Amino acid sequence: MDAEQGWRFLETMLLMRRFEEAVGTLGARGAFPGHYHLYIGQEATGAGAFSVLREQDRIATTHRNHGHVLARGADPGAALAEILGREGGLNRGRGGTIHLCAPDLGFVSTSGIVGSVVGLAAGAAFACKGRGDGGIGVALFGDGALEEGIPFEAMNIAALWKLPLLLLCENNSADAWGMAKGGYPALVHAANDLRAIPGALGIPAIRVEGIDPFAVCDAVATAAARCRAGEGPVFIEAMTRRWAGSAPLWPELATGITDLGMATGETPIPEGPHAEWFARNDPVLRLARLVLAQGGDSAARLRALDAAVCARIGAAERFALASPLPDPATATDFTFA
Amino acid sequence: MSALPDPLRLHRCMLLIRAFEEQVRRLAAAGLVPGLVHLCTGQEAVAAGAIVQLGPEDRIASHHRGHGHCLARGADPRRLMAEILGRAPGLSGGRGGSMHVYDAASGNLGTNGIVGGAVPLATGAALAAQRQGSGGIAVAFFGDGALNQGLVSECMNMAAVWRLPVLFLCEHNGYGEFTASADVTAGPSLLARGAVFGMPAEEVDGMDALAVQQAVAGAAARARGGEGPSFLLCHTWRFSGHHAGDRQDYKDDEETRRWRARDPIPRLAAHLRATGLADDPALAAMEAKAERIAADAAAFARAAPEPEPAALHQHLFA
Amino acid sequence: MRTLSYREAVIEALAGEMRRDPSVVLMGEDIGAAGGVFRQTAGLFDEFGAARVIDTPISEAGAFGIAVGASMCGLRPVFEVMFGDFITLVMDPLVNQAAKLSYMSAGGFSAPLVLRTTMGVGSNLGPQHSQSLHAWACHVPGLKVALPASPADAKGLFASAIRDPNPVVIFEDRMLYTLRGPVPEGEHLVPLGSAALRRAGRDATVVATGRMVAHALDAADRLAGEGLEIEVIDPRSLVPLDLEALVASVRRTHRVLVVDGGARRYGAAAEIAAELAESAFDWLDAPVRRLAAEDVPIPISRTLEPLVQPDAARIAAAVHALVAG
Repeated sequence: MDAEQGWRFLETMLLMRRFEEAVGTLGARGAFPGHYHLYIGQEATGAGAFSVLREQDRIATTHRNHGHVLARGADPGAALAEILGREGGLNRGRGGTIHLCAPDLGFVSTSGIVGSVVGLAAGAAFACKGRGDGGIGVALFGDGALEEGIPFEAMNIAALWKLPLLLLCENNSADAWGMAKGGYPALVHAANDLRAIPGALGIPAIRVEGIDPFAVCDAVATAAARCRAGEGPVFIEAMTRRWAGSAPLWPELATGITDLGMATGETPIPEGPHAEWFARNDPVLRLARLVLAQGGDSAARLRALDAAVCARIGAAERFALASPLPDPATATDFTFA
Repeated sequence: MSALPDPLRLHRCMLLIRAFEEQVRRLAAAGLVPGLVHLCTGQEAVAAGAIVQLGPEDRIASHHRGHGHCLARGADPRRLMAEILGRAPGLSGGRGGSMHVYDAASGNLGTNGIVGGAVPLATGAALAAQRQGSGGIAVAFFGDGALNQGLVSECMNMAAVWRLPVLFLCEHNGYGEFTASADVTAGPSLLARGAVFGMPAEEVDGMDALAVQQAVAGAAARARGGEGPSFLLCHTWRFSGHHAGDRQDYKDDEETRRWRARDPIPRLAAHLRATGLADDPALAAMEAKAERIAADAAAFARAAPEPEPAALHQHLFA
Repeated sequence: MRTLSYREAVIEALAGEMRRDPSVVLMGEDIGAAGGVFRQTAGLFDEFGAARVIDTPISEAGAFGIAVGASMCGLRPVFEVMFGDFITLVMDPLVNQAAKLSYMSAGGFSAPLVLRTTMGVGSNLGPQHSQSLHAWACHVPGLKVALPASPADAKGLFASAIRDPNPVVIFEDRMLYTLRGPVPEGEHLVPLGSAALRRAGRDATVVATGRMVAHALDAADRLAGEGLEIEVIDPRSLVPLDLEALVASVRRTHRVLVVDGGARRYGAAAEIAAELAESAFDWLDAPVRRLAAEDVPIPISRTLEPLVQPDAARIAAAVHALVAG
């Protein structure tokens, strides 16, 4: 393992985690309107994937986007302000949690319509191909998107036109649904392996361990290189774990605020329904254990890193809460370009 | 429902479709058909071979090249032709035309102007049959172009998940309008478009009515036995191009020669002769009868009245 | 009479129709064991089972197309689209198949189904989960469209819609789900095409749809304190529209304001206003006025979202302007 790369991944993943914990805490107190989705449990996939992407790449993502936007370098304060519907938000409070978007960072769209991002990212890939700057289009979506027809249509076109399109499916249902509903994917997918769907369209498809940022990074690097070389789209299925807090209709911080002591050994792993999560499935704790295994001053470095991340999130929260709500006089602004 | 091949019935059916489409072609050339009309000449074996296997409790849904399906399913040729001409006695009262022929009496959920449109309707018919326990099955006819419609893949997925008694019958004639299938369809094989959803997927010689019949018999038996959907990829070719009057500049002579040589009607006729089921005079008589029926349908339709203006608002709601 | 919430009234209608007619099935995402993301099908899976309360994959176009096909073959599906914004995904089977079936087949087929979907400004769900697209459905010949505004109407309109031989689209405002009101027990049918007089008055008529009815009644209370008695009429279904009842009211009050929650431009309020201008011109003492949603996507912001749709204060102000005019 490249230890410094491990620390870089951990910094990104901790940023996502502490951000989502702040969102969950604010959400529980009703500090922002509407429904929301948290990225907890999928941090390794986002950190690994975004470490590979380049400035000229164009990205489309979904309702579960907070981690992606942060990994791409969006200001956490502006991201949080958007979730709170504030004027200082990435989209000036118009979109909210489901539509966090940062065009200046290469996000073309963040869509709440399941599956729609595949079409939008294919369009971005088409534009990238035309520009010829080596940029690629990246579609980030969940396993449910493949129940829709639009991804099927868009993947067909992307394969035909050899578009530089990286399809990154974050499958967070494989284990959860298997347990909860008596059989995944048979309830919703006739294909018992989602890779078969792009495969039927001639798109190479690989599966990767989604809680391992190194594995995701390697897979995305290989896939992106293929896209950049003009060989057409690639599909990656990253197998993430369903975090217990996503099970109810409204997310809740079911596993509490992440205690890195569970990685250092200072905090014993509590018995109960989340023991497996803390011991094996939480990608943040998992990576923390790996970097701690390097020994030396790593425990102190981990504490310092977490403190710095928490300070950033604290500042982000203060910025977001201080940001004004949009001026009613601007209600119709931006309806047309 | 016939479990055994009935080659004579198949042949009569194909002859009727061929003769009927020839009458449509003439009527279109004479300017009597409103709009464009799509002929299924060359694809008769698929319609005849598939539908001969179906019973009265079964349902079909068809596409824009659907006259053959309607005739095979038992539509009155006169009323079908009248509909194609947009006349009052037509099956849809002249409102629909060629692409919107519905015939509830023969379990026909209609031809369809939306590419892939038959697929959800037939899948829904199969859902109804399954929930009602009617024992019926449904056949969705669609072309290779429809395989690139997302809603078709959605339906195949759901049919497989729910084990619905439906046959997805793709008439692969090589073209979507004027574009070759290979230019718009990605992937290793069109068969994979069905196989990916875990259903049996089979290639069929769509120019051989007996082969179609046999494949559909197998798929229908699976569906009736509760084993769920099947995907049949029937290779065929349209002799008349996309629509009546299509100049077909996009086809080369060699391709045309190759497929004309596989014309399903002489092919089955040869089989009938070889097996002693019919001799030349019998075959000629069958052909003459088909032509009489088609000519009668054309005459009926030409003489049929146009809809009354008062019909404009009729049947908007049931 | 006992009271129920709007949501309970819909569930009671669905359960009643499913008991009465075994061909009624429900289809939608997460409507089965999960009971619906708004609990709008709670308990039905337990009573009727997976064969009649059918969870679909996230495949709106295909699944609704299947519902249309099933409706042609003896089932009566009640198909749910979780958010009204998502009816864009079912537009082909809705517009090109279901709506045209009876006409195209000269009555040979029809699509006896209900498409139910939710809308609602005020849940802070943002631009892709809030829009009110009922005017789109109204614009398609062959579709019937209803917007129940009270628990009793929710029950009665659902029951009528399920029994109707045509495709009926019902838009439910999520903000009404917790609204309570008296609901008749047992069979209760509200015919499509029958408007309801919610409040009698003499100074002006307010025609209000869906959730706007509640706002109009609030406004009427305020205005009564100011000496203005307004009549509130709820068309209940937009297709068919009970124009006769609307004209009759205008004949009594001579002034009319039409209030609708959809976008103003080419919207439901515009159509009703035009019908009244043509049919009741001789009795009008002032031009017909409209109040509808701003022509913007629905923002998530807590300050911007409440500006989008009419509310009681804006209705009251519009009535003042109408009466002064």
